[in-house]
Amino acid sequence: MPPENGAYMVAAYVVAPVILVGYAVWLWKRSKQ
Amino acid sequence: MPEAFRLALAVAAKDIRAELRSRTALLSAIVFAALVLVVFNFARDPTALAVVDLAPSVLWVTFALAAMLALNRAFTVERENSALDGLLLAPLPRGALFAGKLLANLAFVCTVEAITLPLFVLFFNVDLTDTWLGIAGVTLLATIGFVAVGTVFSAMAVRTRFAELMLPVLLLPFMVPPLIGAVQVTSRLLAGRPLSEMLGWLRLLALYDVVFVTLCAMAFSAVVDE
Amino acid sequence: MTAARAIVRRGLTLVTLAFVGLAGVYVLALGHTPIEARQGLAQKIFYLHVPAAWCSLLAFSLVGIASALYLWLHEPRLDRFAAASAEVGVAFSAVMLTTGPIWAKPIWGTWWTWDARLTLTLFLFFLFIGYLALRAAVHEPTERARFSAVVGILGMLLVPFIHLSVYLFRTLHPQPIVLKPSAPSLPPEMLRTLLSSMAVFTLLYIGLVTTRYGIALTEEAREEATDAS
Repeated sequence: MPPENGAYMVAAYVVAPVILVGYAVWLWKRSKQ
Repeated sequence: MPEAFRLALAVAAKDIRAELRSRTALLSAIVFAALVLVVFNFARDPTALAVVDLAPSVLWVTFALAAMLALNRAFTVERENSALDGLLLAPLPRGALFAGKLLANLAFVCTVEAITLPLFVLFFNVDLTDTWLGIAGVTLLATIGFVAVGTVFSAMAVRTRFAELMLPVLLLPFMVPPLIGAVQVTSRLLAGRPLSEMLGWLRLLALYDVVFVTLCAMAFSAVVDE
Repeated sequence: MTAARAIVRRGLTLVTLAFVGLAGVYVLALGHTPIEARQGLAQKIFYLHVPAAWCSLLAFSLVGIASALYLWLHEPRLDRFAAASAEVGVAFSAVMLTTGPIWAKPIWGTWWTWDARLTLTLFLFFLFIGYLALRAAVHEPTERARFSAVVGILGMLLVPFIHLSVYLFRTLHPQPIVLKPSAPSLPPEMLRTLLSSMAVFTLLYIGLVTTRYGIALTEEAREEATDAS
């Protein structure tokens, strides 16, 4: 019976794209100036 | 070869003489080291941890911070006198210039360490009668490593805006391998462990020194030349 | 100016493609990959954490190589590339340094552990930050390029020493028996998901670096225009 740790998975799967998309958006904004 | 060596010593002597004349950086580094040791003493619970377990880390954190201060002086003097520019105009081989600066910085940091060590023995009641030579040896070995990198970074930092902040930010990652090695060897020396347990770390320290002194000699030229 | 904008546009296209690919990886990882029996759902963090680690290391190595080449060839494009790779590397390191502890907590019971991979990434992160801080503090472009290159090379050569130190540290300090998050042999579906994620992350790296490179080019062109006027 695998342990109940889905919350951690969700946290990581949210944090990672937030960082990457956030950085990409920041670059996009900089390119617009 | 002997010519370059003589030049290096001349550069080192000039720097050392300049510092001996003002003495401010040396004194502040020593006072700082003493204060750090005092704080460490009050920050620990004497019943919880034996001194011999904590001692190597305390000693080396103190050495590392004091070394940073001592290296700072390397460029404060430069900046005030624009001395480096004068040296660069002279037909001085860059390797010799680096060696000279390295020797001077080494002399300063080692002086601070040499004065801190007896204070450490005093405050922490550590017995170094059998081990002081080993401690001195590993201290020199580790110090050469991070002073080499520190000399290059000082030369860079002096040309930046936030020089005093730039040096630690750049240098601290590079101090870690010598620091780890030094703490490991010191802790084993103090615990009276056999030499065989320290060889791995000593080899790491020696390798670090060889690699980085060579690299930094080359890097120094890249930094000071246009 | 327009050449730079074209580069930025190309980069952003690649980035968008990569994010579409990432969505695909999410579907793959969450819907079509088996759950690991011992570690449960948290093991799926593996499919984000490992590719992020690979990209950080890639970014860092390329900064080192570009730095060495710059000191030899004095080609400003190499310096521009190194700066771009460093900034992108910070982003991927940040992903690694966040997903790592989030993964470690349920599996190893502790947020942080000084194991080789996490420790190394932490150092890469600090080296990247130092590199970028130095660049921000030096204004003359050739001097900035030269100094950054020195830090880039020295940093690259520091990495094996950190690795060696951590390795020596761990072999002499017996660690408690812990579950190893990365199994030596992966079942085929897991391998497929991992490789897909690696490909997507690499594409993202290329896209982000291209974009950042293009932005650097536009900013330089703009500075030259204001200097000339």
